[in-house]
Amino acid sequence: MRSLPVSDPGTPDNRGPWRYLGWIARCQLHAIIPGTLLGVAWMGSQALMPYVLGQAIDHGIKAKDATSLTEWSLVLLGLGLLQALSGVFRHRFAVFNWLAAAYRTIQVIVRQATRLGPTLPKRLTTGEVVSVGIADVSRIGDAMDITARGAGSVVSIIVVTVILLGSMWQMGLVVLIGIPLILALTAPIMRPLHRRQTRQRELTGDLTTRAADIVGGLRVLRGIGGEQLFSRRFKDESQSVRAAGVRTASVESVLDGIGLLLPGLLLVVVTWMGAHYAAAGEITVGQLVAFYGYAAFLVDPLWTIAEAADRITKAHVASKRIVRILQLDPEHPDLGTREPEGTRLTDSRLTDSVTGLTVRGGGLTAVVAGTAAPELADRLGGYADGGSYGGIPLAELKELRRRILVSINEDRLFTGTVRGELAAPDDDLAREAVWAACAEDVVDAVGLDGPVAEGGREFSGGQQQRLRLARALAAEPDVMILVEPTSAVDAHTEARIADRLGKHRGGRTTVLFTGSPLMLDRADHVIFVENGAVAAEGEHADLVKSCPAYRAAVVRE
Amino acid sequence: MSERLPVASREDVRSYARRLVLRHPRELALALGLHGLAAITGLVTPWLFGRLVENPGEHIDLIAGGIALFVVIQAALTRQAFFASARLGEKALAELREEFIDQVLRLPLSTVERAGTGDLLARTTRDVDQLSGSVRHAAPQVLIALVTGLFTVVALGLTSPLLLLPVLLVVPLLFLSTRWYLQRARDAYLREHAAWAEMTDGLAETVTGARTVTALRRETGRHERTDADITESWAAERYSLKLRMIWYPSLEIGYVVPVVATLLFGGLFYIHGHLSLAQVTAATLYVQQLSRPLDMLLTQLDELQLGGASLARLLGVSAVPSDREPSGERPAGTEISAKDVRYAYAERDVLHGVSLDLAPGERLAIVGPSGAGKSTLGRLLAGIHAPREGAVTLGEVPLTDLPLDDLRHQVALVTQEHHVFRGTLRDNLALVRPSSDDDLRAALEAVAWTGPGLDEVVGSGGTTLTPAQAQQLALARLVLADPHTLVLDEATSLIDPRAARDLERSLGAVLEGRTVIAIAHRLHTAHDADRVAVVEDGLISELGTHDELVARSGSYAALWTTWHST
Repeated sequence: MRSLPVSDPGTPDNRGPWRYLGWIARCQLHAIIPGTLLGVAWMGSQALMPYVLGQAIDHGIKAKDATSLTEWSLVLLGLGLLQALSGVFRHRFAVFNWLAAAYRTIQVIVRQATRLGPTLPKRLTTGEVVSVGIADVSRIGDAMDITARGAGSVVSIIVVTVILLGSMWQMGLVVLIGIPLILALTAPIMRPLHRRQTRQRELTGDLTTRAADIVGGLRVLRGIGGEQLFSRRFKDESQSVRAAGVRTASVESVLDGIGLLLPGLLLVVVTWMGAHYAAAGEITVGQLVAFYGYAAFLVDPLWTIAEAADRITKAHVASKRIVRILQLDPEHPDLGTREPEGTRLTDSRLTDSVTGLTVRGGGLTAVVAGTAAPELADRLGGYADGGSYGGIPLAELKELRRRILVSINEDRLFTGTVRGELAAPDDDLAREAVWAACAEDVVDAVGLDGPVAEGGREFSGGQQQRLRLARALAAEPDVMILVEPTSAVDAHTEARIADRLGKHRGGRTTVLFTGSPLMLDRADHVIFVENGAVAAEGEHADLVKSCPAYRAAVVRE
Repeated sequence: MSERLPVASREDVRSYARRLVLRHPRELALALGLHGLAAITGLVTPWLFGRLVENPGEHIDLIAGGIALFVVIQAALTRQAFFASARLGEKALAELREEFIDQVLRLPLSTVERAGTGDLLARTTRDVDQLSGSVRHAAPQVLIALVTGLFTVVALGLTSPLLLLPVLLVVPLLFLSTRWYLQRARDAYLREHAAWAEMTDGLAETVTGARTVTALRRETGRHERTDADITESWAAERYSLKLRMIWYPSLEIGYVVPVVATLLFGGLFYIHGHLSLAQVTAATLYVQQLSRPLDMLLTQLDELQLGGASLARLLGVSAVPSDREPSGERPAGTEISAKDVRYAYAERDVLHGVSLDLAPGERLAIVGPSGAGKSTLGRLLAGIHAPREGAVTLGEVPLTDLPLDDLRHQVALVTQEHHVFRGTLRDNLALVRPSSDDDLRAALEAVAWTGPGLDEVVGSGGTTLTPAQAQQLALARLVLADPHTLVLDEATSLIDPRAARDLERSLGAVLEGRTVIAIAHRLHTAHDADRVAVVEDGLISELGTHDELVARSGSYAALWTTWHST
């Protein structure tokens, strides 16, 4: 068995849901083929058992021939062992097929998500993509897993039909008609069942969301009240989930009953006909037993085929959602080829064509732009059109993201170690960035090897913000754009960060969107943007005196 | 500072499961009875077929009709049996999750404030799901398998006691191999699930942080993380697959050998005249049939085990001890005072003897660098935790001696974390206390609410409120709770500074006439307060009015000068 995951999942065929499923199947053909062969051997050996049983009864028991009985018993044993062996290895391949398909799909989705970057949340809700990664991935696995059992079922039904047609064609005909008839008769009940199952799943999902909502807001509920209200609400929803479950069960149990009834009636017909033929001497008693065995055995492959049809339908729906994600392209890919003009870093100016803002190369420039800051920062960082660097429009700039880094408060902290999160070339540089962001207390508490939990939620809002700042600083970009990097930090610490930030950047271009006098006071140059245009420029202290609108925006009294 | 919640012991899980099952004896008896009857009717067919084989030609139509009749009865009984057990299962499941949520809603305030929500959330979602699966599928299947298996063995014994031997022969094999497997399976599956969860968490993280990945060029890092998660998942899956590769062959052999042995020995007995052909045929068919319930029973046992593990985590939530014993004393006034308060996290003191007296209606601002103990002090003043030494009292009564329902209408803590519940805006407000729409509107008006109306559905799945609106909502709840003292812990810090200023205006209306302790990092909040306390290294280093502190030229004065930049 090959090892998983594959190092390169390859380029998926995203032209349509069937194409995607076909691509996945082709990628793991090396496991699907042996799995299918084993499935055939496994089901086939089960299909042959009634035949051997019949022979043992005729030649051994009926003929009172102990040697023949022993021989046929050994054949039965051999067949049983073949079934056991092929069944166990079929399982192995089925598990591999399930996992290989699921893993490859996850790899493909993650690679696509990182390719899309900021385009992803614009086009899709993150919940949609995450649920694809959780639920739909399993559906693809289910479809690949069923190939082995599905193929075995089809082949074994053919085997049984051929045997029956050969020994007594009328009986073969009964089976040949009976099997599709049973599937056709069961089909109408599947629709209401699926409808009720879907309803039940939706309600269960809602209930889980309600429960998660209670846990998420538990501080509020325990701090200020409302436990009884929410308990009652939850009970109501829980009871409707229960009612939906009972409604589903009422149909599901009918299916269980029909699952016994229809094959059972086929068994009765086969037995009844067989008994008449046996009485007329046209078939032996052993054959009668064999016919009974075939009819009883057919139940399994029959339901497997129904299950396979169901799984493939679901996989198709899942594949549709996956393909929708795979078909998207990033809006602002980092594919430029032009170098900025100027030889030194500080030669290159950063400009925004919308507001007319120009950030000179080098030094710490603070921008006071109020609620317009995020859009402006996006343009200056190449996340929206309008910015250029060193005279080159950002879309054409070579290595845009290496040169210009925009750090916003919505940036996510990833799970892992503090060191991994900072991703500095060495520990000294990591500590320098931590120092500049005044995040020593965070790192001292857990160490560089300490864990960062999901979303950094073990840290306070201020700690998260400083860790994010340290991470951005450690990336050492040519141009650093920071949006309100100290909004959740206390005044003492903010003042310290303002001092250290400039030192750490060492003259490289830094753009700071802020409204805090503590930060503005340390900036080399301050630009005030109001109503979509640059309104004033200069030093903080001068602007406070000369520009009343600026004063109103930053100083509170 | 996240803490794990307790997990119930094996004995507790067993006794709870027993009580849960026996809580509905009538339904249980009905389900068991129906499954039993269905199993018995299913056993008639091989017996009748044996008659047919014994004397071909005799009563063919009658026997075939008989088989048909029993097939119909069996199908009808099976339907009823499945329905009855599903109804019982759904009932038990609903009770279980409702009791669990009640326990969650009863968790002590100090636990809720301290423990991260991750563990509790995982129990609420994953463990409830796992248990649902076990109760819905595994439990009834095991039940049916037990009943069917038992009756099949009885039928076999009635047909020919002698032919019970081949079956009994493999019982030790099945028992030992299954025990070997089950001893390892639970941990293997838990590892499998944990690895899978880790992988999907990683995917969710990449998706929600897609912009950050691009900004920091972490693409390769995310791919590597995914591949590493898959590698771990694969290792976990391979291990449990290996266990099954050892266990399954023993099961398969356990099913095949008795069939062959029954045929062979039954045949030999027939040849020697000890048994009839009908007996041999029926017995062989019974033994063959037996593999189905046996397989169902054995393969569902590990699923039941996992359900048990989940149940243990759900029951563990009720084992958190209560954090306060109301003494029954009534506070004589509304002044809050702290006397030489010390408090420790993980045996390290973060407060080293803080004393503070607040006059009713006073506004105190607490400032200081991060990690100095501001938030801890705030929580003690709000009665969330009791101090390790010293006392925080309200009108002479220690805060943690008050019943929770009293406390929350006296002192409230407002943090930067606010939660908008899924539901109407009305639900989000009325949780404080049942109120008329007029009262609710008045509360909204007090915070200068400009958001959606009372009937609008908000929270996840509904209209998204801006952070500022969410904070306003939290303030409106306070208006309704009407406590005389408020502790604000950086309540406006995560909001865009411009929005914060509007918010602070609405906050002003809420604070009117109340005692306020504001932990703030914006100096103008301190400027507006009656007194300012500077907390540094777990002690109050400066305490006085704004003007006094500025005049003192300490660390507060230095900050203020820069801030005000005049």
